[in-house]
Amino acid sequence: MLLGIDVGGTFTDAVLLEQAEVAAQAKVPTTHEDVLHCLLAALDAVLPQAERAAEKLERVVISSTIVTNALTEGKLDPVLLAVITGPGMNIKGHVPVTPYYLSGYVDHRGKITAQLDWTKHRDLLNRQGRGVCAVSGKFAVRDPQLEFQAQHELKKCGYEKIFLGSELSGELNFIRRTNSAYFAAQVYALFKRFSQRIARALAERGITAPVHILKADGGTLPLAVALEQPVEAVFTGPAASVLGIEALAAPSVNSISLDVGGTTTDIAFWEKSLPLMAKRGAIINGYPTAVRSFHMRSIGIGGDSRIHKLADGGYQVGPEREGPAAAVGGSKATLSDALITAGYVSFGEPQRSRQAIAALGGEPEPTARQIIAGAVAVIRRTIQEMLDEWAKQPVYTVDDVIRGTEFVPQRLIGVGGGAPGLITALGEAMGLPVDIPLGAMVANAVGAAVARPTLSAGLRADTTDGYYIIPESGRRERLPRGFGKAMAQDILSQWLREQTAEWLLPDQETELISYEHFNTVHGYYDRGDIYSLRMQLKPGILHKVRGREVRF
Amino acid sequence: MAKNTLGLVFFPAFDWMISPGHPERQERLLYTRDQLEEEGLFDCEEIREYRPRLAQIEDLQRAHVGVPNIARLITPAHLTSAGGCLAAADAVMQREVRRAFALVRPPGHHAMRVVHGIRGFCTVNIEAIMVEYLRSKYNIRKIAVVDTDVHHGDGSQDIFYHDPNTLYISFHQDGRTLYPGTGFPEEAGSPAAWGTNINLPLLPGTGDEGLHRLYDGLISHILEDFQPELIINSAGQDNHFSDPLASMQVTAQGYARLAAKLQADIAVLEGGYSIESALPYVNTGIILAMAGLDYSKVVEPDSSMLRRQDPRCNKRVDQLIEQAGEIYFQRAAMQQRLLAQCGGTWQRRKHIYYDEEGIREEQLETLRYCAYRACGGYFTIQTAAEGTRFGDQSAFIVCLPRGVCAKCRQAAYDEALREKKRGKWQYVLVQNIDSGVIEEL
Repeated sequence: MLLGIDVGGTFTDAVLLEQAEVAAQAKVPTTHEDVLHCLLAALDAVLPQAERAAEKLERVVISSTIVTNALTEGKLDPVLLAVITGPGMNIKGHVPVTPYYLSGYVDHRGKITAQLDWTKHRDLLNRQGRGVCAVSGKFAVRDPQLEFQAQHELKKCGYEKIFLGSELSGELNFIRRTNSAYFAAQVYALFKRFSQRIARALAERGITAPVHILKADGGTLPLAVALEQPVEAVFTGPAASVLGIEALAAPSVNSISLDVGGTTTDIAFWEKSLPLMAKRGAIINGYPTAVRSFHMRSIGIGGDSRIHKLADGGYQVGPEREGPAAAVGGSKATLSDALITAGYVSFGEPQRSRQAIAALGGEPEPTARQIIAGAVAVIRRTIQEMLDEWAKQPVYTVDDVIRGTEFVPQRLIGVGGGAPGLITALGEAMGLPVDIPLGAMVANAVGAAVARPTLSAGLRADTTDGYYIIPESGRRERLPRGFGKAMAQDILSQWLREQTAEWLLPDQETELISYEHFNTVHGYYDRGDIYSLRMQLKPGILHKVRGREVRF
Repeated sequence: MAKNTLGLVFFPAFDWMISPGHPERQERLLYTRDQLEEEGLFDCEEIREYRPRLAQIEDLQRAHVGVPNIARLITPAHLTSAGGCLAAADAVMQREVRRAFALVRPPGHHAMRVVHGIRGFCTVNIEAIMVEYLRSKYNIRKIAVVDTDVHHGDGSQDIFYHDPNTLYISFHQDGRTLYPGTGFPEEAGSPAAWGTNINLPLLPGTGDEGLHRLYDGLISHILEDFQPELIINSAGQDNHFSDPLASMQVTAQGYARLAAKLQADIAVLEGGYSIESALPYVNTGIILAMAGLDYSKVVEPDSSMLRRQDPRCNKRVDQLIEQAGEIYFQRAAMQQRLLAQCGGTWQRRKHIYYDEEGIREEQLETLRYCAYRACGGYFTIQTAAEGTRFGDQSAFIVCLPRGVCAKCRQAAYDEALREKKRGKWQYVLVQNIDSGVIEEL
């Protein structure tokens, strides 16, 4: 038995899965003053519906946006950020705070070209450090020595927890690693409290199954491990809904999924049955980070979106939420009322919808169609922007240019309460067939329940200097004899499995996700090889889920 | 459109090389890619990334006549790097970005109009292809090309030599000390275009000081006077002090400051083979400068190879400012005189060596001016090459520029047919420069 809980800004959803079926589902209001209450309420709503549920649980997965919200609402205090930039772009404005600049530099091949000179940083060493801080160095993923030295010195100043950029991401992009480290440090205390509330809620209901947190890339992390990389676990965003779609209705062709909620619509792309990942990572609070996430966008159009009449006679849908729809007792016309009036869906009292639409002026049906066309146009524009953005992802080889990596959608998938009418209208406009799977109302919690652990790591070896590095592990070691692609894969795969074992996760298959090999020539005769690869545990869901339709 | 947006086409062609160990090998832009990724440049909102596309054969044939044909001489990599330049041009012309940088390979500025093989690492001239595309598609008339590669862009000079609307300015290490051995001030253009081909051969060892003295003292004035609709930078980076193939002393700061002053609409990467010590920093500097961002912190971590500039370097710069300035600013009178002297027909002979493949080519180029002012006439090229991958080959080529009058067009075809009848040539070809269509008679 699996339990998924999604602690959202308004509602907390819980889903209990038994043998790929939804055994119980519940929706309770989120209690912001203390999440313990809503967690308990959600547990109490689902656990009694199955026999001996607490004992039979194999795993609990939590997804949440509430720590994210605290950050985006500016409720968290700034923390110390120390950077080792060396020469290059001026990072002012690219990071959320004014950083402390440390000396020293590592170049692109991982050579330390300037050491950290502590005599220049007396002011920092004399600080009374407290709590959490972050350190990030350029090319620390090629050699983390300078970050380690800084961590060591800051510990001596009294900082208890120091996040390093190279530990949070093994990939190139100093700014993104820096922002990841900074946000990790900033949310750490709050996230720690949140995870303690989770632990307590589960303990109070006698649940002893392992607890995981959902990440933005749709994978899970054990709660204890998540504390080491809170930035990954906090910015779940709409990942849960994507996984829910994967579990309930994974498409078999290239598709676009739209999760239409009351206020927003989340759009994701699917290449066959797998959601596309964003090339470089999530944007948090306006700053790019190294947090892996799906290629997604949210727009302010949902079933409860308010309708404005524009000066030119047209209509604007959203972004404010008006709801509920006039059909179910609301006072003003919403997008749902337009969909009811135009005959796309039917619920509540259609007559009230017609009246609300008529109150905007004009004949109800044509007005409703005009409103829907407006909403559809905005969604199509966003989809086009996402397609353009995808089409501009870099290509580095002639082969890629010739083969092309264009994404051509063949189907639309609609989930969420507002999907049935809106996505049907969108499908008509785009000339694409539409699927509306069952069970779409609690897709988020379903997605959380069936998410699999994910873990990825990179290895870079430069035979000229004779070392390899796995940045995620901080490990930099001499190259063994006979080193080549096969050995590189073995070493990295081995490390991933060790890590899985350390986290008490089931042994999972690993896969190669990128590989580069270059012959290098240094001077005239000095030849070598650079290998660079990334591997991951195969991502995705544990199993598919048969949904059931329930209204709350 | 923001004031300083830069479109960036980054295409390192990680699967293309001339031969293993060749300076043009897969590794060339690897460290640059690493640096740009690590700096986070692709995330700057001032910078917008574009993908290259595949150029069409017609795009290539506006600038080139391949023998036997261009399709058999190139690889898909050439279509991609040329297509990268076209993508950059479109981004600027469609006003999606203020300026653009095509950081692509393989390079092109040693490829001349007639192509028998690879020379100076180049098969097709990606800037010239872009210039002709800008003219045909966007109707641009006046274009300035500033070539900042350490080698003389003899291919670009060859293609632009008769065109008074393309101002080609190249500064480079003196040809007596470096490949390809050309690029002296006297090579100033054919009669009607005299003074629009400006060569500035610098002494080895010239650094940032001399370079900026030359830019401020001459190049900026010429550009201001010429009033081009577009400025294109052939952004070679081998004037860098660490370049293994040349002997100059320019730094990343020197290059970045130049990019900031030049304000090129489109820059295209050319040479630069100090792939570890220079390219990552020079490219970062140029990108930041073109995007209007702070480039002052871009400094090579290792400057142990940097030498002070010899005083003689500035002296040469001062001579060039005077000599080339005179050529440019008094070009109108000189053009009149040369045109009157040549009496309607002008010829030049060229011996061209293809270092990469050991090809020796002999050319006789003949310009036939037209009595009508609006028509620039047409020109023919007789070419014979030994040692190409197709054996020895010869061709008679007629080139029809844009806006050639009906009478000249007729005369050109008549001449081509006469040559065809003579049976002396393996190929008789007619190049329509505007459409890029080449007819084989």
